[in-house]
Amino acid sequence: MTVEVRPLGDKCNIKCRYCYQEGIRTAGNVPTRYDLDAIVATLDKLAEPFSLFGGEIMLTRRPDLERLMRLGFDRHGGVGMQTNGTLIEERDIELFRKYHVRVGISIDGPGPLNDARWAGSLPATRRATARIEAAIETLCREGMPPNVIVTLNRMNAAPDRLNVLCAWIGFLGGLGVRKLRLHLLEQDETEAGEGLALTAQENLAALRRLRRLEQELPSVQFDIFAEMAAMLGGDDAQTSCVFHACDPYATRAVVGVESDGRLGNCGRTNKDGVTHLRAGREAFDRQLSLYRTPQADGGCQDCRFFLACKGNCPGTAIGGDWRMRSIDCPVWFGLFEDIETERLANGQTAISRSEHRSELEAKMIAAWSIGDNPTLHSLLQQAEAT
Amino acid sequence: MNSAGPTCWLTWPRPPLAATPREPDAAKATAQRISFSGPQARALWQPRLEPLRHAALAIELEMVRRKRIPATVLWTSYDDIGALTERARSIGLDAKPIKASLGYAADWSLEASIDDPKRLLDYAFLIGAAPLDTSIAEPAADGFEQTAIRFGYPACCAKSWADHLRRGGSDPLAGLLTCGDKTPVHAHVALAVLGLGPVRHAPCSSSCPATRERSHEFIDLGRELGFAEEMNWLDEIADWAVDASLVNGIAEVTTAAYRCTWLSDEGMPPRHGAAATRPAKRERAAAAIAKPADSADILTEIGIGFEAAGFDNPFAMRSRFSTVVWEQTAALRRAASVVHVGCGEGLLLELVSQTKPRLKLYGIEQDAAAAEAARRRVGASRPILGGSSIEALAALSRLAPEGIDLAFVDPERLGDREALAAVCAIAKSVIVIGTDRSLYRHNDIDTLAATMGLALLPGRAGRVSAALSATSGRPH
Repeated sequence: MTVEVRPLGDKCNIKCRYCYQEGIRTAGNVPTRYDLDAIVATLDKLAEPFSLFGGEIMLTRRPDLERLMRLGFDRHGGVGMQTNGTLIEERDIELFRKYHVRVGISIDGPGPLNDARWAGSLPATRRATARIEAAIETLCREGMPPNVIVTLNRMNAAPDRLNVLCAWIGFLGGLGVRKLRLHLLEQDETEAGEGLALTAQENLAALRRLRRLEQELPSVQFDIFAEMAAMLGGDDAQTSCVFHACDPYATRAVVGVESDGRLGNCGRTNKDGVTHLRAGREAFDRQLSLYRTPQADGGCQDCRFFLACKGNCPGTAIGGDWRMRSIDCPVWFGLFEDIETERLANGQTAISRSEHRSELEAKMIAAWSIGDNPTLHSLLQQAEAT
Repeated sequence: MNSAGPTCWLTWPRPPLAATPREPDAAKATAQRISFSGPQARALWQPRLEPLRHAALAIELEMVRRKRIPATVLWTSYDDIGALTERARSIGLDAKPIKASLGYAADWSLEASIDDPKRLLDYAFLIGAAPLDTSIAEPAADGFEQTAIRFGYPACCAKSWADHLRRGGSDPLAGLLTCGDKTPVHAHVALAVLGLGPVRHAPCSSSCPATRERSHEFIDLGRELGFAEEMNWLDEIADWAVDASLVNGIAEVTTAAYRCTWLSDEGMPPRHGAAATRPAKRERAAAAIAKPADSADILTEIGIGFEAAGFDNPFAMRSRFSTVVWEQTAALRRAASVVHVGCGEGLLLELVSQTKPRLKLYGIEQDAAAAEAARRRVGASRPILGGSSIEALAALSRLAPEGIDLAFVDPERLGDREALAAVCAIAKSVIVIGTDRSLYRHNDIDTLAATMGLALLPGRAGRVSAALSATSGRPH
């Protein structure tokens, strides 16, 4: 479970044209103040490692930010932080070092490749991008290389730009960046974001190219490919939320601690401008429904990758309706196929082709039906033992 | 884990029910899946749900006691069976179990175990006057309509619900969404799905007058029994807008205060009937963003001339110059004029101008092609001076007789100390920048400066840039 602390909710200093939180901001559902004591009390209760998140977390008053960092350091030996990087200043570097802050920075590329992360005007956008690039280089030079999150879109991964993106990632690797997370652009919310999305074919081509790049750059790892391979191997211990059975009413992988200390959900499924609070009980209605719904109706019936994918993130569901499978299905399917082929060629397990697949699916469905969510790994172990 | 929640739940709708619905205890499951729209909505409505449940139960039992209906069905957990039967007996009614359902693992009490499965189940009880005929709760198909009427359905709704059950349906919301009535789903349905409120049965349509009549009777009885406040809340809720939809077998009801969902037996094409539609895409000020250029243009924009400037690649140059600007933010804030000596094609000047657009910017570049590229990048109003450094600096002193606040230089590229002295003569502050070439050779800015006999300002040097001390670079 990832606990995301969000003192200022979705408040942000820039307006990325594709941001999934823009609906909340447009609806005015952004807190103007926060209750740090309540937030800390909730974190005490959760007793889980946490990440500082937003909106933009660096908008938080520095003394308050430091208190949260200190709490994370004292309780858990460090704290994660996800930021757009534009507000990092010299004094923050010392805070990051002192409290073992693991910084993740979102940027789609250098200069013009990052133009979708809009800051109000083109000069302001470029200024913001330069500050992000500076923050990455500075953190690398300080021996604290950040993780970098890249969202693939037309500005950075269109066919005629993909090579530039790859070359830049190579540069980041030389600088010291070790981990990159790739996101597909969430196709919703804003008219301004229209036209930025790549087609499924372009996304798949981009991811395949980046996967080859990962093999060319041994020092750089893209989380997504290793996670997909792990899921096909039946190892879901370390994989990220998009491959787990996410309940948008009570997201398990991501729990938000909001400005007043209440628990919130992952914001990716908020499509109507409302930040709904967590439901009292987690359920797996989406997965149960997808499993029995024909693919032509937006389900996953008979997909051999269902156990590995589970319809992917509900925030990316077809038509913005969490009850449908991910609109990115063709992309994930293509990649799963690639990885499946390689695993089989290497003599490795691929649950999509395993003789145990039907049994595993039946057990998982039975567990979800009573609200339980066992790991794939545990079911696979049981199946192999019998 | 056993919650301290309610001990029994009403069904929605009241019988007759489908023989094996996916969620036999749908109202309980749905109530557990309420997701409030925010803390204020939760603070207001969560405390009201339990009194509303209490009122609904009391009214239901009173309807049975007064023989308005022959019986009703309540669900309860194993541990609360005793309390339920006792409550029924206390008002002269009988309670008989009619079915059981495996609940959710999260609800199982800590004491429950697979070895004692009865404690993992929820139980449905028929409550009515003795002698109780339990078959009335689950009649044969030809008895649906009459049974529905006995359980309090208006005739029109009894017929439509019986037809729905005979077609294999089980979810009253599906019946409502497919009835062809364009009227939005009534707000009390948003409570009915939780087993609360005045809509007890499966209405034949959203505008059914008989359903409204029965709702009024429910509310009147509630007031008569002393639930005045609760009935006022129901009046308040009646005006809510409700979105309801059923997609791929999952139902969802959304109000301004909360949304809830349940697993239905009925799969329907997406966005049927009064289904919730996503709000129209919000209009935003159109971002006046540049149209994507092609790959060659992009590389030009990122930065050309990196080799001459001492960098491994264009990304390194852009990143480094960005870092220089970032490190020198405070100095730039104080400055009114800046020169980059050896500005190449002007990337650093452009980054500086983006940080502080009103700065007076000057560039010095000996290479004519690079100087021209710099002019294109930073605009004609920012002079890019050609010729040797000495000549250009002389020209700069004529252009800016008051001097320049900040000069950026790569001392290695500048070459001789005479040129550096000339820079120091015209600039109030000189910033040394480290390129890939110089940092590979000298490792850091301190060593670079020391090797070249330059003194940096006291205090910690920047990582890739640092200010020369006032005496550094002056002719000895």
